[in-house]
Amino acid sequence: MVSLIGDTAFIKGCAAIGAGLAVGLAGIGAGLGESGIGAAAVGATAEDRGFFGLGILFTVIPETIVIFGLVISFILMFAFG
Amino acid sequence: MLKPERMVKVSVVGPKDYFEKVSEILYDLNLIHIEDPEETEYFKLGEPFEKAGVVSRSLVQLRSILSYLKLDPEKYFPKRRYKIEEVVAELDAKLEEYRNEVGAKIDKIKSLQEKLKALEDELRVLEPLKTLGIPPRLLKGYKTIKPFVGFVRADPRPKIEEITSEYEVFIKDYGKEYVIAVFVKVEHAEEVFRVLQEFGFREVTVPDIEDYDARISEIQSEIESIRGEIKRLESEIEEVKEREADLMLAIEEYLSMELEKSELPLRSLVSKYVFVVVGYVPQKDVETLKSRVEAETDGKVSVEILEDREKFEPPTKLNNPPYVKDFEVLSTTFAIPKYHEIDPTWIMSIFFPLFFGMMLGDIGYGAIITAISLYLKRIFKTEGWQKLLNIGIYSGIASIIFGFLYGECFGPFVVGEGLSPSQVHWFGSLMAGIYAFNHGHPIFDRVEAFGVKALLFITLVIGMFKLLWGFALGFRNVAVEHGYKEALLEKGCWFIGVLGLCFIIFGFTYNLGLFTSPPPEGFGKILPDNLFVFGSYTVSDARNVPLPIPGLVKGWQMGVNVFYFLALPLILIWFVIFAKAEVPKMGAMGVILGVELLTWFGQILSFARLLAIGLSSVYFAYVFNYLTLKMAFPPGMAILPVAIIVLLLGHLINLVLGILDPGLQSLRLHYVEFFTKFFEGGGVLYKPFGKIKKFLE
Repeated sequence: MVSLIGDTAFIKGCAAIGAGLAVGLAGIGAGLGESGIGAAAVGATAEDRGFFGLGILFTVIPETIVIFGLVISFILMFAFG
Repeated sequence: MLKPERMVKVSVVGPKDYFEKVSEILYDLNLIHIEDPEETEYFKLGEPFEKAGVVSRSLVQLRSILSYLKLDPEKYFPKRRYKIEEVVAELDAKLEEYRNEVGAKIDKIKSLQEKLKALEDELRVLEPLKTLGIPPRLLKGYKTIKPFVGFVRADPRPKIEEITSEYEVFIKDYGKEYVIAVFVKVEHAEEVFRVLQEFGFREVTVPDIEDYDARISEIQSEIESIRGEIKRLESEIEEVKEREADLMLAIEEYLSMELEKSELPLRSLVSKYVFVVVGYVPQKDVETLKSRVEAETDGKVSVEILEDREKFEPPTKLNNPPYVKDFEVLSTTFAIPKYHEIDPTWIMSIFFPLFFGMMLGDIGYGAIITAISLYLKRIFKTEGWQKLLNIGIYSGIASIIFGFLYGECFGPFVVGEGLSPSQVHWFGSLMAGIYAFNHGHPIFDRVEAFGVKALLFITLVIGMFKLLWGFALGFRNVAVEHGYKEALLEKGCWFIGVLGLCFIIFGFTYNLGLFTSPPPEGFGKILPDNLFVFGSYTVSDARNVPLPIPGLVKGWQMGVNVFYFLALPLILIWFVIFAKAEVPKMGAMGVILGVELLTWFGQILSFARLLAIGLSSVYFAYVFNYLTLKMAFPPGMAILPVAIIVLLLGHLINLVLGILDPGLQSLRLHYVEFFTKFFEGGGVLYKPFGKIKKFLE
C-alpha cells in the first residue's frame, strides 16, 4: 500500500477526528437526554410557574456527558495534537 | 452560621382568663414557633376568641376591595406608616367609608358592565337584521305563516324548493355567513326547519322595535354614556386608591394581625379552665419570653422549658450574616436544612460567585451584569428579588475580577500566535497597553493550550476538594444523628475511596509530567522528578505508562509513582469498609455496587465544566469580534453599520448565555455534585407566631 501521509500526521489526524467525535457524539447523547427532561419541565412549568427555576436546573443535568466528551477530547489533543 | 439557631421547646400554661392577654404578648414578641398539638381525652383544640367573627368579616370585605384595586401587600411599598392607635381610632369609620366609596362603586361598575354586555349583544343582533332590510314588525306575528330569521352558511333555496314552492326567502351576504329570512306556510315549517339546520341555521330573536336605525343609534348613545359612567367611577376609585392605599393596607395588616391573634386557640389545647401552648423558641430568647409573660400576667401564666427527647423536632432558623443571607434563596430552593444539619448556605456564598466568575470571567460582561442587577434592584423590591439581584451583583463583581485575570473584556485580546490584539479585539491595542505590566499578556491566558491544560487540572482539584469536603460534612451529619460507626460505613468509606481516586488522578497527572516540566508543558518543577517506587525512573520514562496496570500494561513498574502507591491502600480500605456496609444489606452481590466509585470519578470530571462553559463563551466573543472587524475594515467589505449591528447582537446573545449558563451550572455543581454528599434537608422553616409589620409602625 502506498502511504500518502506520514505516521505522525496520521496519528494526529485520527486524534483530531476522535476528539471531534467525542464532543459531537456526547453532545447528541446529552441532547437526547435533555429533550425528555426539557419537555417534562415545560409541562410542569405550565402547571406551576414557580417550577421554572428548578425545571431549568433539571434540564441541564445531562450536560455532564458533554463535559466528559470534552475532557476526553482535551486529553486527546494534549496527548497527540 | 454553620448551624441553624439553637432552639428549646417550651410550654405556656395558664388559666383561660389570661388566654387573650397571652396571645397579645406572644404575638408582640414574635418568638414562639407553635407546634400544632394533638387532642387528648382532657385537652381539646380551642375555639377562636369572640372578636374573630367581626374581624374576619371586615377583612374579607377589605381584601376583596384590595384585590379589585390590585393592591398587593407583598408588592406594595408604603410611603408612610401608620401608628396602631391611628388605625384603631379610624377603623370603623374608614371601613364604612371604603364600603360606600369603593365597595358600592365596584358593585355599580359590575352592574353597568352587565348592562353594557346586554346592549352590545342586542347590537350584534340588530346589525345583520338591518342589512336584511325588512322592518322588524314584518318579521314576526303571523298566524298561518312561519318566519325563520337567522344565519345560514349557504343558500338553502334549492332544498326548500324540493319541499314546497310556496315560500319567500330574503338572503343577504353577511361576512362569512348569510343572514336570512324564510317565510313558509305553518304546515311546512317543520320540514323547512330541518333543511335549514342542514345549512347550519342559527336563529335570531327579532326584537320588539319599530325602526332599526333609531334603535341602533339609541343603543350606541347608551353604550357611550355607560362607558363614560364606568370611566368616571373608575377614576373616582383610582382617586381613593391614590389617597388611601397606605391606610388601607395598614388596616388590612392590623385586621389580619387581630385575626391571627384571635385564632391562637385553634393551635393550642384547652381544658375547662386551662390553656396550653407548646412551641419552640430560640435558646437566647427564652428568658425574654419567660420574664415578659410572667411579669405581665402577675405570674398566673407560667413558661416552662420542656425536656422532651421523644418529640423534639424544632424548626430551622437559618442564622446567617447579611452577605450569606442573600444566598439562602439558592440553598433553600434545594431543601431546607434539618435542625441538626449543617446549613450549606455559607459554603454556597463563597463558591457560587467564585464558580460564576471562573466560568464567565469577562470584565465587560461582569460590569453589565452588575449594572443590570443594580438597576433592577430599584424596580423589584420584594425580598426574594432583592436577594437574587444581590447575588447577581456579587457574581458580576467576581466575573470582573476573573476577567481581569483572564484579560478579557467583551472577548480576549490575545488569541494564539500570529494575530495581533487589534485583529481580534476592537480595542485590542488599548487592552494590550493596559496589560503592558505583564508584557502585553493576560495574567492567566485560558485561551492558549497551557492555560487550558492548567485550568483543567485546577478545576479537577476543585472538584476533588469539594467532593471530599462534601463527604466530610456528610460524615459529621450522620455522626451527630446516628453515631460514628454508622457515619464511617455510610460516608467515611466514600471519603476514603474518593481520596484514593484523587491520588490516582494525581499519579496520572504526575506521569504526564504536569508537575515536573516548565510551562507551557506543565506547572514547572513543583515536585521532584523521581518519585517512583520501583527503581530509579524519571518522568520521561513514565510518560509512556501513565496508567500502570499490572498485566495490562507492559513495563508498568516504570509508571508506579508514590501517588499510585498511596492510592492502593486507600482503595483497599474503602473496599473492605464498603463490603462490610453493603454485604449485610444486599448479600454478596452488594460488592458490585462498588462500581459507584466510578460515579464519583465522573462527578470530579464534571467540575471541568468550570473550564468548558467559560471557553465556549470566550470563543463566541472572539468569533464575533474577529468577524465584525474583518467586515468593517478593509481589505474586507467596508460595511461598518452592519458590522456593528452583528457585533452588538452577537455580544447580546453571548451575554444572555453568559448569565444563564454559568449561573445554572454553578448552581448545579452545588446541588448535584456537592449537596448530595451531606445535605438531606426536609426541615421546617422557623415561623414564629407574630408578624414583622410593614404598614404599621
